Amino acid sequence: MTVSKKTLTGLGSAVVMASMTFGAGIAMAQDGPLRGNIRVVIGSTSTGGDTYQNSTIVVDKLAEQLDLNMKVDAVGASSAFRTLDRDSRGNTLMIFHDQSYLGYLYGVEGYDNIFEKYTVGPTVAINPGNAYLVPKDSPYETLDDIIAAVGDGEEVRVAIQPGGVSEIGFSALKNAISIEHPGQEDNLVAVNTGSQSDKNQQLFDGQADVINGTVQANEQYTRLPEDDQKAMRFVWLTARQDTIEQAPEEGLGQTTREQLLEYVEPNVHVTMGDDETFTFDKEFFFLYNKDMDPAIVDQIDEALTEIYAEGEIQEVQKNSFFIPNFKPSEEATEYLQEKMSRYEEIIENIQ
Amino acid sequence: MEFLSLLDLTFFLLAGFGALVGIIFGAIPGMTATMAVAVCLPLTYALGLHHGLALLLGLYVGGISGGMVPAVLLNIPGTPSSITTTFDGYPMAQKGEGEKALRVCVVASVVGGLISAAVLFLFAPLLADFSIKFSYVEKFLIILLALSVIASLSSSMLIGIFSGVIGIWLSLIGDYSISDGGNGKTRLMFDFMEPYLFEGFSLLPVLIGIFGISTILLEAEKGVKSDTTNKRIKIGKGAGFSLSIFKGRLTNLVRSSFIGTFIGMLPGVGGSAASVLAYTQEKNLARDSSQMGKGAPQGLIASESANNALTGGALIPLLSLGIPGDSTTAVLIGAFTLQGIQVGPLFIPENPETWYIMMTALVFANIVMFFLMFYAIKHIAKVVMVPKHILYPIIVMMCVVGAYAINYGIMFDVWTLLIFGILGYLVQKIGLEVAPLIIGFILGSQAEVYFVKSLESFGTFSIFFTKSPIAVVLWGLIIASVMFSIVMGVKSRAREKMELTQITGSTQTASGKGHDSNSR
Repeated sequence: MTVSKKTLTGLGSAVVMASMTFGAGIAMAQDGPLRGNIRVVIGSTSTGGDTYQNSTIVVDKLAEQLDLNMKVDAVGASSAFRTLDRDSRGNTLMIFHDQSYLGYLYGVEGYDNIFEKYTVGPTVAINPGNAYLVPKDSPYETLDDIIAAVGDGEEVRVAIQPGGVSEIGFSALKNAISIEHPGQEDNLVAVNTGSQSDKNQQLFDGQADVINGTVQANEQYTRLPEDDQKAMRFVWLTARQDTIEQAPEEGLGQTTREQLLEYVEPNVHVTMGDDETFTFDKEFFFLYNKDMDPAIVDQIDEALTEIYAEGEIQEVQKNSFFIPNFKPSEEATEYLQEKMSRYEEIIENIQ
Repeated sequence: MEFLSLLDLTFFLLAGFGALVGIIFGAIPGMTATMAVAVCLPLTYALGLHHGLALLLGLYVGGISGGMVPAVLLNIPGTPSSITTTFDGYPMAQKGEGEKALRVCVVASVVGGLISAAVLFLFAPLLADFSIKFSYVEKFLIILLALSVIASLSSSMLIGIFSGVIGIWLSLIGDYSISDGGNGKTRLMFDFMEPYLFEGFSLLPVLIGIFGISTILLEAEKGVKSDTTNKRIKIGKGAGFSLSIFKGRLTNLVRSSFIGTFIGMLPGVGGSAASVLAYTQEKNLARDSSQMGKGAPQGLIASESANNALTGGALIPLLSLGIPGDSTTAVLIGAFTLQGIQVGPLFIPENPETWYIMMTALVFANIVMFFLMFYAIKHIAKVVMVPKHILYPIIVMMCVVGAYAINYGIMFDVWTLLIFGILGYLVQKIGLEVAPLIIGFILGSQAEVYFVKSLESFGTFSIFFTKSPIAVVLWGLIIASVMFSIVMGVKSRAREKMELTQITGSTQTASGKGHDSNSR
């Protein structure tokens, strides 16, 4: 049988393809408890989103440090939880953000209490970009205008994706209105939508007065001329002031850190009562199977401590508009648990 | 023209290599362009943005085109957008015209791809502004228009609509996803099914099962004897391929390319709607569409030019709004994010070099795809010469691997493949129609989301008629499409009746004559 060049090329490329699909083989023997190929599932299906971007940065460094094959898979929240449930060997790890417990607080199907069902691992970074925007020609100049308008009985519609990070700012705003203008909070209406494009579309259609967005996805829209139907304006960034202060001076796109600081506390004040201001930093952290060997938890903690001590990862994260925020597992668990109870209160207040 | 200095040999090699790997991915049932791009996405880290984009765009174009191969030769759509390619491609392959069918597909693909690239290059920002005029209401109407095809695609309208409704019903199983702004509650299932069916049946396993596995089951029923007859099919003999096939079909080619580009630029409408719409428009508007569905090249032209035109179309909202137009560009956006580049309304003016680089890669990938496929077809088409008892087990294996891999290792997807394989077989046995069923399945869940969201946003049913002039135009098209199907249905029934009376008339005369002669 003669084998043509074409067949050979075909075969060759098939082999290349197969090897790319199924990973680069078994890693060399390691000393630590974590061995073999490690799959890091994330709670988002998007490879264009912040979870994938941040996870890739961290996992790349970790793979290098531990000399292991590690790959990030964007499988989405419910698949990621289910995959993690099945693997207690430590070959499946998960990276997600505050959505993992906010989903539980909002009673979303498929979300359990992560502090009971999983081992919470180290935090790695913050995305300070959670934002609220209005059309550029909106009558509302500031968030205070919106709070006052709702207090006066005006209906304001906010496009959000229900049940998580996108909703928590809305809940806090509603809570603030119920404190400052009791009985008027129902004038703040949630418009439940899905993706960022849906939220933008609601604004273009005039079906929402305010939308939840991000600095990363919406910054270019804020630089469009006012007569453009697509032009928007930030009114609120939920991040803490000192989180934004850690961002690079040049900010993102052509919006500088200085400009971004105009939209965070104390310039924007969303009360939680007792002089406390609501802030929300979207934080990324690891989640492990509850039955996974605790030695692996320590191994990853140690590896990340070394990586963050070197200081290179911080630069990469900052260049991608993430704020480095490494806390080892134990500290992270305590910190996130406290964070959860703070938001639990807000959600209970408005229900 | 500074970008020219960025174009080196590696750039073109990567785009070409991408197209080749993409074609292979597209041609394997269960592997898609999206998967190819996702697998290679981390490589963009090492390659840098421009080289990375060359590779990914090559994969994208190749992946979409590769889907035609199994669609034509095996009746398995390699990608969801090549469903309509099976309608005419497989009948042609069965007649021994597989090679000709593939060549028609390749030419249509490259024309579709290049037209959409031109539209992208010339009108991207303008069209992006137009695309945001399409709110939930208009998107629902577009889906409804695509669904109206069900009527004209079926041989019996009532059975077709019934099959379509079953498809829609199947698509609604699972939760109304929170990521679509729903409530995350499941429906149409028992509690014990929830762990498996929370997100409903996955599209690709359903597709491969209902087309591929059921075709194999139907063949298996016939036994291996038919192998001998198969060998007699001389591929490429008989009416061969020549460009004259496209004579008088230019309108179809251009129209379908524009439909593909247009649907591509509407985020969330999806690729399958493009080829389905192009296919129906050809069916409705062509002077003679009687052969469509039985092996007519015009069906292939419509389907393939539309699905390749998607590539340029889907890049329009990506590059001028920062919003991906389809599932593959949703992965592609990762290449920019990983490099820390924001895509949004100012991307093109602020990154002219990257923009030109992308256009070059897109056009080059289309050309490479054309040459790779056009000249490799002779060999590819020989797949049908492989004895079925060897070929089919390999296909089943590939389908199973593809189904298992599509959601990164969910075993239930393999069961879905088998369940729908058997369902597809039974459906055909009891006389229901597969094509409307699958179109209903693909479009059903989108129709639901846009319908509910329209009502949630506007609070009244009348909005569907009064939202905008675009909505009115779409209603016009829907009504025309339905009317056309009814007229065609009535005509063909009248024709059948006439033929029947002629036949019965002539047999009666014949038997009458016989009777007469007997009585004598």
